[in-house]
Amino acid sequence: MAATAVSRVREGLAPVGAFFSSFALAVKKGDIYVKLSLVIMGLGHIVRKRVASGIALFLTEIGFFVFLSKFALKYIGKLPTLGTVQAEMYFDPILFTNVWNDYDHSFKILLYGIVSVLMILAFIYIWMTSVKLAYRLQCDKAEGVRIPTLRNSISDALDTKYYRTLLFLPILGIVIFTVIPLIVMIAVAFTNYDQQHMPPTALFTWVGIENFRQIFSTSLTSTFGYTFAKILTWTLTWAVLATFTNYIGGILLALLINNKYTRAKKFWRTCFVVAMAVPQFVTLLLVRNFFADQGIVNTICSNLGITAFLKNIGLVPEYLNYIPFLTHKVWAKVMIIVINIWVGVPYLLLIATGVLMNIPQDLYEAATIDGANNVQKFRAITMPYMLFVTGPYLINSVVQNINNFNVIYLLTQDVYETTDQLMAISHGRETDLLVTWLFRLTNEYYNYKMASVIGILVFVVCTVITLVAFNVFLKKNKEGEMQ
Amino acid sequence: MKKLSVLLIVMCLAASVFAGGSSEQAAAPAAAKAPIDLKVWVGELYVDATAKMVESFKAQYPEETFNITIGIESESTCKDTILTDPEAAADVFTFADDQLLDLVNAGAIQEVLVNPEGVKAANGEGSVAAATVNGKLYAYPMSASNGYFLYYDSRFFSSDDVKSFNTMVEKAAKAGKKVGMQFGPDGGWYLYGFFKGAGLEMVINEDGKTNSCNWNTAKGVEVAQGILDLVASGAFVADSTSNLVSGATDGSVVALVDGTWDANPIMDAYKDGYACAKLPTFRVAGQDIQTASFAGYKLIGVNPHSKNVGWAMRLADWLTNEANQVLRFQTNGDGPANIKAAADDAVRTNPAIAALATQGQYATVQRVAGNYWTPAATLGTILSQGNPQKTDLLTLLDTAVAGITAPAL
Amino acid sequence: MKTYIKIKGERFYPLRHLFLLALAFFWLIPIFWLVLNSFSSANAMSISRFFPKEYSLIQYKNLLFNTDAANQFPRWMLNTTVIAVFNCLISSMFVLMTAYSISRMRFSGRKFFMNLSMILGLFPGFLSMIAIYFILKTFNMTNSHIGMIMVYSGSSALGYLIAKGFFDTVPTSMSEAAMIDGANQNTIFWRIILPMSRPIIVYTVINAFLAPWMDFILAKIMLNSGIASDWTVALGLYGMLDRSRKSLYFGQFCAGGVLVSIPISVLFVIMQKFYVEGITSGSTKG
Repeated sequence: MAATAVSRVREGLAPVGAFFSSFALAVKKGDIYVKLSLVIMGLGHIVRKRVASGIALFLTEIGFFVFLSKFALKYIGKLPTLGTVQAEMYFDPILFTNVWNDYDHSFKILLYGIVSVLMILAFIYIWMTSVKLAYRLQCDKAEGVRIPTLRNSISDALDTKYYRTLLFLPILGIVIFTVIPLIVMIAVAFTNYDQQHMPPTALFTWVGIENFRQIFSTSLTSTFGYTFAKILTWTLTWAVLATFTNYIGGILLALLINNKYTRAKKFWRTCFVVAMAVPQFVTLLLVRNFFADQGIVNTICSNLGITAFLKNIGLVPEYLNYIPFLTHKVWAKVMIIVINIWVGVPYLLLIATGVLMNIPQDLYEAATIDGANNVQKFRAITMPYMLFVTGPYLINSVVQNINNFNVIYLLTQDVYETTDQLMAISHGRETDLLVTWLFRLTNEYYNYKMASVIGILVFVVCTVITLVAFNVFLKKNKEGEMQ
Repeated sequence: MKKLSVLLIVMCLAASVFAGGSSEQAAAPAAAKAPIDLKVWVGELYVDATAKMVESFKAQYPEETFNITIGIESESTCKDTILTDPEAAADVFTFADDQLLDLVNAGAIQEVLVNPEGVKAANGEGSVAAATVNGKLYAYPMSASNGYFLYYDSRFFSSDDVKSFNTMVEKAAKAGKKVGMQFGPDGGWYLYGFFKGAGLEMVINEDGKTNSCNWNTAKGVEVAQGILDLVASGAFVADSTSNLVSGATDGSVVALVDGTWDANPIMDAYKDGYACAKLPTFRVAGQDIQTASFAGYKLIGVNPHSKNVGWAMRLADWLTNEANQVLRFQTNGDGPANIKAAADDAVRTNPAIAALATQGQYATVQRVAGNYWTPAATLGTILSQGNPQKTDLLTLLDTAVAGITAPAL
Repeated sequence: MKTYIKIKGERFYPLRHLFLLALAFFWLIPIFWLVLNSFSSANAMSISRFFPKEYSLIQYKNLLFNTDAANQFPRWMLNTTVIAVFNCLISSMFVLMTAYSISRMRFSGRKFFMNLSMILGLFPGFLSMIAIYFILKTFNMTNSHIGMIMVYSGSSALGYLIAKGFFDTVPTSMSEAAMIDGANQNTIFWRIILPMSRPIIVYTVINAFLAPWMDFILAKIMLNSGIASDWTVALGLYGMLDRSRKSLYFGQFCAGGVLVSIPISVLFVIMQKFYVEGITSGSTKG
């Protein structure tokens, strides 16, 4: 697997190498106009009668240098230190307000610095492409190939190069709202941005891999390593359990409803879909109150004597006279999985129904003729078909559940308190997933640096799972395909 | 080609935006007669009262035009919203005094420069102390009734019963009722009272970032055992105050430790039986010890990043003057911090405020560094569940104290 | 043989339905409680009774007509609808455009884009929230609904997989025939492929419409001015259960929950047919 990974990376990097070498070629073999295009972008295009794009390139160049001088240089310069000027202010009685010095805001420096670096890289790419294009125009002219006019370009954009037109805005959106924030937050993992170092009043700076060291270590006062290990274990356990309980539950329910002896199929299905349609935050908050320590279910249980019974068999600790549904570390985990089944089975029900309906009936009939009973039919026909069709969805589901914030956060946020003192020191809880821990660290304790580290580790975990799962799954599929 | 030209347009636009943006920062502050924009954050129950106060403020300065908007922000979470982005926070905001230290450390609150002497003279000592850090006044005291005390149903308990937690709990257990106090989940604030009452200390250090705590001593073990004894009765429950209030309405909770903010719902719940008292004593190693508490104050702060810091301070001063503190008492039942206002008969005879005043002698100003809360809440939760793991109490306290006194993360 | 099977099936008949009834009952209890509480006259949550003491319409009345600092329900519905509609338009366009390009056209960066979008999907979303907040702050778009729309729809193209799966099942012969007739890709996309992709369009549009109704985390960070009339429904309802407001607004929360669920349920029911098609068709084509 390592060898294929290396060769795949090499494959991926090949176009990059080709890009640079063709640029070098263009510079070497280009005529005077191409060489001048290195300095005055667009010259080569104008000369070859592609005036519109030539002017556009030239304006880009000017725009870029304006951007560079007014904005980028300032921030890129401060990027290595992330700011040195501490914020200071004094109260000016004449203006009757505070006057601030021109202080450095570390996070803004990080953000704008990274954006500037990316813009510079983008510009270099445009620059190199324009020179290569100028060279190609020169070659075309020499060979007598017709040079496309503006009209041709526009019609291309609507036809052969339509994907560019279509993809431009979406990709821009992704870059601005996903890629850039991600790069910035990954960078934060290498700084000391936390409550002691919060802009605008305080500066933060680079600390290298110090945070990673901290998350894997445990001392009496900094228990991140301990907490991380425990939360990671629960996250993985949860992801697998949640996905499979919902999956099996959905399939069984679908089989039950779909069976030819069941009447009013649509009615049953609608019941379950309604449970799904009420927004999660409404239902989960409600369910949280439902199962509160002094709440309704507990009142009913103690009235019915269930609480006493459970105490007798030791499932409920002695000092309590209620069932700690969401506050005891083992009960809470069980309840979370049960409630997640309640939340998630309707989805799986729909999917399973859809797939079941697509299984060709003649397979079943053939099996009946061969004398198979229901259980055998299930194992030999239904399950393999289901697994084949929904395989990728399952793997995706496990990964999604690793990041399933809503269920855990809404059910435990204000009610569950950890009884593990070491975990308490790092603000973690036994029922936390890595993402809910991450969220609490940013939202309540402003420990952005550790949160970023956790985020990166979550990514690593998800990637490993996805790669392993897909490899295993694909291998399995290559063998008996749907026999 | 088209892709390149579109890219160019984007880059030009981006360049102009950034260039324009940075030049704006260098512009001088607005001229004096421009309308003064102020944003005020108050708790959702105070909006109406605040609107009246804002109107009277505007009437004080007829020659200026004001643009004052009132937004709601729960006083207990004010700090979180401010610290996420101090530059975008309101100009004037109300908050509970426990958040002051964090705000000062983050440079997110303005030192009081408008009328500091007047404020210090007019308001009670405790409230001024709560608003002061390192000798500097950072906020305008607003109300002095943010501490906690005991509410009870006088139809169930007599005023003698409520002198001791142990008596109350015994009586409640017999009748199948409950006595509630939020010392478990999120309960660090209430848990403090037990240990402090026994003479143990938990206070912030000089550096302003760490705590020192001596709960892990023999005395502390006895206190923890005292709490466990109360829990063993089955009638002493640790639950959130909002759930306890619901319990009072239902009749299952006959006494609870809470603050003035819940006075109205509890009044509705206990009807004729509504009564308040200072916190009871609890038995520690055979002795009855008075439960201490944190004093709580509500303060008004000013955002140093505000465009109109001076006017914001004037508004904050106005919102906390004697007349407006009385107004707040009349509309919401908040005990004023202002000395004259607090001496008023109507204020003094209000049961909740009277109870608070009595409890006041056992209350300490809250000066706590951030690492206190989670380990304390965990300790409280373990105790409220009866110490299910049967951990040795000294070990339990040792770990808790290690977390409480840990260096800032 | 046949008679044996028939009897077996009939023997389970009532059991089967009873079991389903029990399941449906458990599934619907919390919803039932939600509806009950919305018709209760008590403002706070009841912890010792399941059925409210008194029934009344007062929660709905307060919710809809008594707007105050913490309750601006009609305004929230309006805000959220506006955001949802625009998000719908922009998101759907992005998703469909991306899915069509990846599915029907071949170009050099295609594999790279597919891998990249899969990798981006593996990062937890919360990580980037503070960065997105500052990006919006640069353009002064925090606390604005335009900012919210941009955030919801900006990266929506990453969710192109299901739509792509659908487009994969459209036979290439359609496009080829059109090209022979002289149409360019632009025309093919708008005039031929889209009109016959009704199922996936409905699915994408409804998905995009529903997203702003369910999200309270992003809204909490972006809409931080404290002014309730700026909020979305999710944020407003979530705020009602804030500790200091729970005892006063629980009933209204339930009423709001019921009102919000009705249009969402309707949309869900319409969408579920297409949802299933999407998941299954996408997977088989891979």
